[in-house]
Amino acid sequence: MNRMHGIIFAYEQRGELRELTERRTAASMPFGGRYRAVDFALSNLLNAGVTDVGMVLHGRYQSMLDHVGSGKVWDMSRKRGGLHLLPPFNYLHEWGVTPFRGKMEALAGVRDYLNEIRQDYVVLMEGDLVSNLPLADILEQHIRTHADITAVCGDDSFATENGTYFEKDPDGRIREVLFNMHQPRGYRSLDVFVMSTDLLRSLVDECQARDQYSFRRDVLQAKQDLLHLQSYTFSGFAAQIRSVQEYYDRSMQLLDKQIREDLFTSDRPIRAKGADKASTYIGPDGVCLNSLVAEGCRIEGTVVNSILFPGVTVEKGAKVEDCILFRGTTVREEARLSHVITDKHVELLPGRTMVGHTAYPIVIAKGSVI
Amino acid sequence: MKKECIAMLLAGGQGSRLYVLTGAMAKPAVPFGGKFRIIDFPLSNCTNSGIDTVGVLTQYRPMELNSYIGSGQPWDLDSSSGGVHILPPYMGSKGGTWYKGTANAIYQNIGFIDQYQPEYVVILSGDHIYKMDYSEMLRRHKESDAACTISVMEVPWEEASRFGIMSVDGEDMITEFAEKPRQPKSNLASMGIYVFSWKALRRYLTEDEADPGSENDFGKNIIPKMLADGQRMAAFRFQGYWKDVGTLTSLWDANMDMLSPESGLDLSDESWPIFARSVDAPPIYMGGDSRVSHSAINRGCDIEGTVENSVLSPRVTVEKGAKVSYSVLLPGVTVETGAVIEYAIIGEGCHIGKDCRVGGAPDSALDGKWDLTVLAPDCQLEDGREVAPGIMLDHHGKEVLK
Repeated sequence: MNRMHGIIFAYEQRGELRELTERRTAASMPFGGRYRAVDFALSNLLNAGVTDVGMVLHGRYQSMLDHVGSGKVWDMSRKRGGLHLLPPFNYLHEWGVTPFRGKMEALAGVRDYLNEIRQDYVVLMEGDLVSNLPLADILEQHIRTHADITAVCGDDSFATENGTYFEKDPDGRIREVLFNMHQPRGYRSLDVFVMSTDLLRSLVDECQARDQYSFRRDVLQAKQDLLHLQSYTFSGFAAQIRSVQEYYDRSMQLLDKQIREDLFTSDRPIRAKGADKASTYIGPDGVCLNSLVAEGCRIEGTVVNSILFPGVTVEKGAKVEDCILFRGTTVREEARLSHVITDKHVELLPGRTMVGHTAYPIVIAKGSVI
Repeated sequence: MKKECIAMLLAGGQGSRLYVLTGAMAKPAVPFGGKFRIIDFPLSNCTNSGIDTVGVLTQYRPMELNSYIGSGQPWDLDSSSGGVHILPPYMGSKGGTWYKGTANAIYQNIGFIDQYQPEYVVILSGDHIYKMDYSEMLRRHKESDAACTISVMEVPWEEASRFGIMSVDGEDMITEFAEKPRQPKSNLASMGIYVFSWKALRRYLTEDEADPGSENDFGKNIIPKMLADGQRMAAFRFQGYWKDVGTLTSLWDANMDMLSPESGLDLSDESWPIFARSVDAPPIYMGGDSRVSHSAINRGCDIEGTVENSVLSPRVTVEKGAKVSYSVLLPGVTVETGAVIEYAIIGEGCHIGKDCRVGGAPDSALDGKWDLTVLAPDCQLEDGREVAPGIMLDHHGKEVLK
């Protein structure tokens, strides 16, 4: 099935990820021990047979370029179609130093690319969504209900940073589009939208003519009565990576077997770049409990309730609890970490202690030696 | 396209001494060290040594190996001007035959090698675990102006009679070669890794093929003939870890060696990575009641039980109350609750039912005849089954003799 085209928004957006997004966007945030957030969008697309994908970039995208490369991991390095990276340099107008103000402006920036789309349908996705969505089902429902736009939502009103929420009729039609609420209500938008390619092009042109840039305000809210907006409710795990707290809480949920089975369901595998590292080794005195551990780690100390990315070393006598340690982190002898997120290649010298709290995990910036 | 040096990897071995593990695949495709297969070692050595063109000679049950190698991308061997090529026997206008011996396999692919007009050809085999820089061996070959260079390592004198033994002069040039000598004159053993000047090798292969009495084998025919003809033959001394994993015991040993880098087999050294085609699976999960010690674990493993001194390949499940020790579990094995596995090699996709007992420690053998327990790939053991030490089961769970 290749009736749908994917567009992933991976440009820099305002968020609360602090040091973690000093050198990357939310879409290339490491997640779940061996993934980047964008691996989920790319794998969701691939698992629905979608291999023609455009990825809109603007700002801090070096990390993303390194990660996706030609798209080979997702079978998207193709002669016809495949993955197209869309940096801002094709923008007709001055693209400036500030990131896009919204999706419609980002799409206007790649307007020529939209002309080249061969498929009848398009799915717009945010690169910061970690979920295993059945996109084939979503398209099927979109066609069946004759909707103009199908918006995917979770069945919760979980407060996500900068979230959008829907109120809907019993038949699933969207009645109200809400955002900037003090107390969220309705269904949380996963910011995944399916529509016909023709409709997308005309909406982009219309918005551009009026200097409108926001998809949720200038399209969803403004045209609520003119267009048939249908919801698709997804009740599985769906995390949006927009603040340190959300990142930490959502990561830790992976220690729950049910959630792992939901996110890593074997009929829709999530693909990620390999790490070319040897097996993980747990030493004679190593202890590793209720934790997710990637390859190439060496654990001689104690690790509890934590997530370890490839190549993490925990030396003898060191203790790591409720932490997320990115690739290449080294925790030396007798060091103690609790409720800490270490970015890549952080080193904790012998005996050092860092203690955060469930409600305020500490972030240690890339390459720090403490 | 002209290349200075290309490699030819002999991967046709049936691996009959690995018994049920090689029932459906060639020996080089057998999983090793959790995430690798044996062939990853020579292929990665080539890449790390700067050799970008490799011919892989296959013959016995090649499907698994073919799909594993694929385009060669995991080893960076998918370049358009070289890369990895699978070379099965083929029919020409004058007919064709199976590969009769190691030398004949190369002889049948003279056409492949000639395409690259190489000065040198490295001959490798697909059943050794080691890390070697072939470019250093090539330098030794050039500097000694040899027609053939053979890599050698010192082995304990008492074991020397199990190997092909080289005698050398003061400049480490080979003076004599003896295959498994009863009374070894030296303890320098051939590792089965050769560098040849292609012009010389091409001539010897052609002559060897014309000799009806020849077994068309490098060790038995080509090397002795070149020595007898007074060709310059250099020894290249290798120091480091090297193991022929052609038997069940040596395969198990090498897996255990990987757990202790003191053995010399350190696979985490980033200056010489061993590449592999890896499976896509989530990271390892180790549960709240799990106990894992001195073990290697891989992607997709789900451990709720106890694992000691063992090597677990990707997607292995060890349920609560199950215990695995001193064992090698190949990909996709499930060990149900209460089962105990000791001193065993468990083939790909095996399912060990509840409360099974598989294998045992060396001191548990009653008659003093102890051995590893081995299960063929896809063997399904019903709950409570006992498999004594030294027993080997086929994929139906029936006992087979070694």
